[in-house]
Amino acid sequence: MSVHGLIAVNRFGYGAKPGELAKAISNPQGFLKQQLKQPEFNRVLPSASELMQKLYQQRQQAKMLESKKQESQKQQTQNKESATSPSNNNQTKKSPKVQQQAYRDFCQDSFKAAVKSDNSLSWRLLDFFSNHFSVTAQGPVMTALAPTLEREAIAPNLFGSFADMLDAVVHHPAMLVYLNNQQSFGVNSKIGKRKGKGLNENLAREILELHTLGVDGPYNQTDVIALAKGISGWSVSNKSKHSGRNGFFYRDAGHEPGSQQLVGKRFTQKGEAQGRAMLKHLALHPSTAKFVSYKLAKHFISDEPEQELVNALVARWQQTQGNLKQVVEALIEHPLAWQSERAKFITPREHLIFAHRVTEAPLPKTRNLIGLLNQLGQRPFKAGSPAGYGDTEGEWLSDKVMIDRITWSRMLAAKVNKLDVKQLIEQVWGEQLSQRSYLSITRAESRVDAITLLLMSPETLRR
Amino acid sequence: MNRRDLLKLFGGSLVVMQSPQLLISSANATSYSKTEQPLFIWVMLRGALDSLHTVIPEFDENYIKHRPKLAKQLGTGLPLEKGFSLNPALAELHSWYQNSELLPIVAVGSGYHGRSHFDGQDFLESGQSKVNSNAIDTHSGWLGRTLQMSAYHHKAIAIDQTVPISLRGSDDVNAWYPSNAKDVGDDIYSALMNMYQDSPKLSMSLQKGLELQKNAMAQQSGKQRTKFANLTKACANLLLADNKLSCAVLELGGWDTHNNQHGRLARQLKELDDGLASLKAQLGERWQHTVVAVATEFGRTVKENGTGGSDHGSAACMLLAGGAIKGGRILGDWPGLAKSELFEGRDLMPTSNSLQWLATVLAQHWQIKPAHMPALFGGLQTYSEQLV
Repeated sequence: MSVHGLIAVNRFGYGAKPGELAKAISNPQGFLKQQLKQPEFNRVLPSASELMQKLYQQRQQAKMLESKKQESQKQQTQNKESATSPSNNNQTKKSPKVQQQAYRDFCQDSFKAAVKSDNSLSWRLLDFFSNHFSVTAQGPVMTALAPTLEREAIAPNLFGSFADMLDAVVHHPAMLVYLNNQQSFGVNSKIGKRKGKGLNENLAREILELHTLGVDGPYNQTDVIALAKGISGWSVSNKSKHSGRNGFFYRDAGHEPGSQQLVGKRFTQKGEAQGRAMLKHLALHPSTAKFVSYKLAKHFISDEPEQELVNALVARWQQTQGNLKQVVEALIEHPLAWQSERAKFITPREHLIFAHRVTEAPLPKTRNLIGLLNQLGQRPFKAGSPAGYGDTEGEWLSDKVMIDRITWSRMLAAKVNKLDVKQLIEQVWGEQLSQRSYLSITRAESRVDAITLLLMSPETLRR
Repeated sequence: MNRRDLLKLFGGSLVVMQSPQLLISSANATSYSKTEQPLFIWVMLRGALDSLHTVIPEFDENYIKHRPKLAKQLGTGLPLEKGFSLNPALAELHSWYQNSELLPIVAVGSGYHGRSHFDGQDFLESGQSKVNSNAIDTHSGWLGRTLQMSAYHHKAIAIDQTVPISLRGSDDVNAWYPSNAKDVGDDIYSALMNMYQDSPKLSMSLQKGLELQKNAMAQQSGKQRTKFANLTKACANLLLADNKLSCAVLELGGWDTHNNQHGRLARQLKELDDGLASLKAQLGERWQHTVVAVATEFGRTVKENGTGGSDHGSAACMLLAGGAIKGGRILGDWPGLAKSELFEGRDLMPTSNSLQWLATVLAQHWQIKPAHMPALFGGLQTYSEQLV
């Protein structure tokens, strides 16, 4: 059925590149299943570890410059007749800072890859989990590190077990720094006793509330503290003396000793193993299966997914101990995922990727891309909350953004005004575009108008 | 008689001894000072302008029968010769007519017989006149090809985000448009409104967004920059700033008036009129050596429709203007508006070819050898009428 080919490409993917719809039509489920491959990034870009090293060097240089400046100021005040002024300050401003450069490169790289990919379902899934484990780029360290979390912790585990993904995410410096766990030490640990330091519950709470059991999950404040103790000492090393070890650093001296009781289970492990066992327990908990399955169905199918569909995902999750590939396959296999009603409103990022995929318009310059996403309300890694960006129509369909989306659609359309409109409709929807949209688009008074309307049609906005 | 006219007179006898290419370059190079270089500006109206509402055939007794409501709304136009009149929104153009700087040509068609905007525009812009071919070759356009043939007029600018089809095929073409332009055009909003009829949330959101925008637009930022009058002004500045630029292309959309035509066209024509006025004002002395050609892909139905508008038709009018134009008259044979005189019983019948008129005016204005013209305009010859 050609309508299923269409759903495969648009509801599960980012929209049809030329020729893609034809490939999907003969076997829509198979077409999607063969896309479940780990997303590939530009490997030339730096790792979190390298970035931490560079940031350290940048700080050292800044310190040196600062002390030189102070020295020369001292000299100047000593011999006031001297008019020489140091120009060091200007020199540092010339090239973008490490964190800004990295942030831009990462944002552009994943956008480009999603536009070009033959496996756009895998990129949709990456975006989903990246937002599930949302980290915000604020301050130099997080600006550099935030985009590395999805590359280093999420993508490699996208089609493995959720437990492995969770373990990798909580070990990653971006998450540890963002939710302040690198300074969280048990009160009864050596560091706690010696330096009077204590726990920081931030990461533990968000793991329970946002990453695993869900806000209505079966946990209370005692569990939050138990988990915080379990992962106390999970920290980062960002000094050059640990060169090559910039990143996760387990400080045993900061780990709260003793066993912990978490969500109905006692954990007697020592050291880092204790936290790991706790995370695994949470990952495999039925509430986690329900919480993440619901979010997945909500992301792909409808703001209010049917319970029957969610149940099927939960069942597969439990049968396979949270194997994400299997869970996604259960989604692909369920009839309710193929309902003809287009219930899901497209986010700005998805919309932008869609437009570039279907029109093959030249990619925007990095600054423009980030500026545009910012204007449309979805600047990468800027959700500003560990809960990530919202995922419902109410959050994305705003009056102002509607106008902004029309405006950029018009600008993009002007760049691809050689495209044959009817051919483009065929490529994106086959025969399935509504009569009203078809006539509106094909009767537009210019090709640019027609492509603008295509990019803003109800069929584009909801899938 | 000025120096240019004199040279034109002698031009014919000089031709014989030299190759055509050499002739063009040497003749032009010696005949014009930089400020006298003949400028050509092509204005494409997208969406199919209703010529009967622009150059109004008030004398034709069938006119009011076909369009009782529209004719009443329009009232009496600004008088032209032969009983035609000009839409009152075109006050500046009317003063040009009186100065012999405006030359309307009625009942023109490009040779395209379908009624699709895109195909009609591609056809008019490419000027390759392959009426029976389904695929229109858009790799080059008549203006781009003509530029290539002229050793003198070799640079062009498009006031657009990209190079339009009409200018393709030439090497030295640039495109310029105000950056961060925010103006999308009212017709897109109304087309979207129409498309969202079955999606209440989308149409509500669009409506509210437009209200927001309207209020914000009180401050006028991007919209101002992309007003046609500002684009034409910028176009003139670009032409003045670079002596080698002798050709520019502009476009103006918003002519697809299926409903409420009178009010919409009054606004549109005013925008066109203001824009051309600002072009002339900014060009200053260069105006004397300028030709502006304004045309649209096709015309509209002769009979008004049920929503105060008109639908896609065939023949339209075109406008030639500028200090170099021998205006103050109307060209083109009037086919009549009796039912039997209409194309397919509904549209104004084309009696002459818009591309052929463009060929004619370019041949005269840029002094391109007649033998070259058919190759540049898809086999079309030029008319014998003297236009400049």
